[in-house]
Amino acid sequence: MKFFHYINFILIVILLAGICVLEDVMVSNSLKEMQSICFEIEGKLENYNDLKNMDIVLSIDNLEYRWHKDEASLCYMVNHKSIQEIGQEIAKLKLYISGNDIEAFKVSLEEIKFYCHSYLHFMGANIHNVL
Amino acid sequence: MLTIIIRSILIYLIVLLVFRLMGKRQLGQMQPFELVLTLIIADLATIPMAEVSVPVLHGVVPLLTLVVLHFLLTLISRSSQQFSKIISGKPVILVNPKGIDYQAMKKLNLSTDDIFAALRECGYFSLSQIQYAIMETNGKVSVMPKADYAPVTNGDLNTKVEDSFIPIVLISEGKIIKENIELAGINEDEIQKIISQNSSKSKKIKDVLLLTIDKTGQTYLQMKEGEGISFQSKRLVET
Repeated sequence: MKFFHYINFILIVILLAGICVLEDVMVSNSLKEMQSICFEIEGKLENYNDLKNMDIVLSIDNLEYRWHKDEASLCYMVNHKSIQEIGQEIAKLKLYISGNDIEAFKVSLEEIKFYCHSYLHFMGANIHNVL
Repeated sequence: MLTIIIRSILIYLIVLLVFRLMGKRQLGQMQPFELVLTLIIADLATIPMAEVSVPVLHGVVPLLTLVVLHFLLTLISRSSQQFSKIISGKPVILVNPKGIDYQAMKKLNLSTDDIFAALRECGYFSLSQIQYAIMETNGKVSVMPKADYAPVTNGDLNTKVEDSFIPIVLISEGKIIKENIELAGINEDEIQKIISQNSSKSKKIKDVLLLTIDKTGQTYLQMKEGEGISFQSKRLVET
């Protein structure tokens, strides 16, 4: 019986370690990927004068698809409310494309990058979060 | 709403598991570190239960962390007396043959009323009856009465008394407990016979509220409708 008691606790410790590693990998992978897609879109913007072209539209669709996919998994680990801003900004990007508002589009992209950077900070294990 | 219901069930099961893993101590028997853990667990469980945006893992992970912490503290406490003293404190003598230890009383933040209340709970109403009173690490007070006030035991009177045994419950609320029947070494026919011989009303097993028997054969039978009766049946086979 005592043996099973120890096994229980070892399993819990392994489970906790697994959750921590999984969270770190999931959060950093998805947010870094979002950041890189944003940089990619910014690069594409320099080649075009307006937003209504297939390349930009597809990139935004890709950004939205990636985010929805990752957001669902991230919600197992983080508070939904803490990560909702990125989804809102992506929705705005689509609006700016239809209105061809390139300046607002750039601001939204910056915001997404900023949120990704902030999330990476507050979701990661560091002394600031601990204290 | 369905989400909240499912989350509540999930968290309840996890908290139940956590308490099972932590052991069977009751609130009054807890050491200080166990009490602290219990209070935190109660608070932690409610957050993901009511707040849907908070992932269940935010409740589960701290709960499991506390289980591990509790396990480690218990393990270290068992192996190190010094550590145990730091975490749980040590028993303090509150009352000695000279009277109340005022320094100990002040150290424990107790008043004389608190001491008297604890002594009365132990069945002693006067300090003159008490040799020692000790405040245990779980907050309970143990009392050693003076010889004149100590209860007389069979040993003091040199009286030979047969050891008593724990009664085995054979039927509870109309249901036969098969495990206990095997333990008692009797069969269902014998149980039916006991009921038929001793019940004036119904003879059915489903109408029995409680049927217990101990090793000496002392039996207690109470039907759902009626008073309980004690009688002697056959002695149980040693199992």
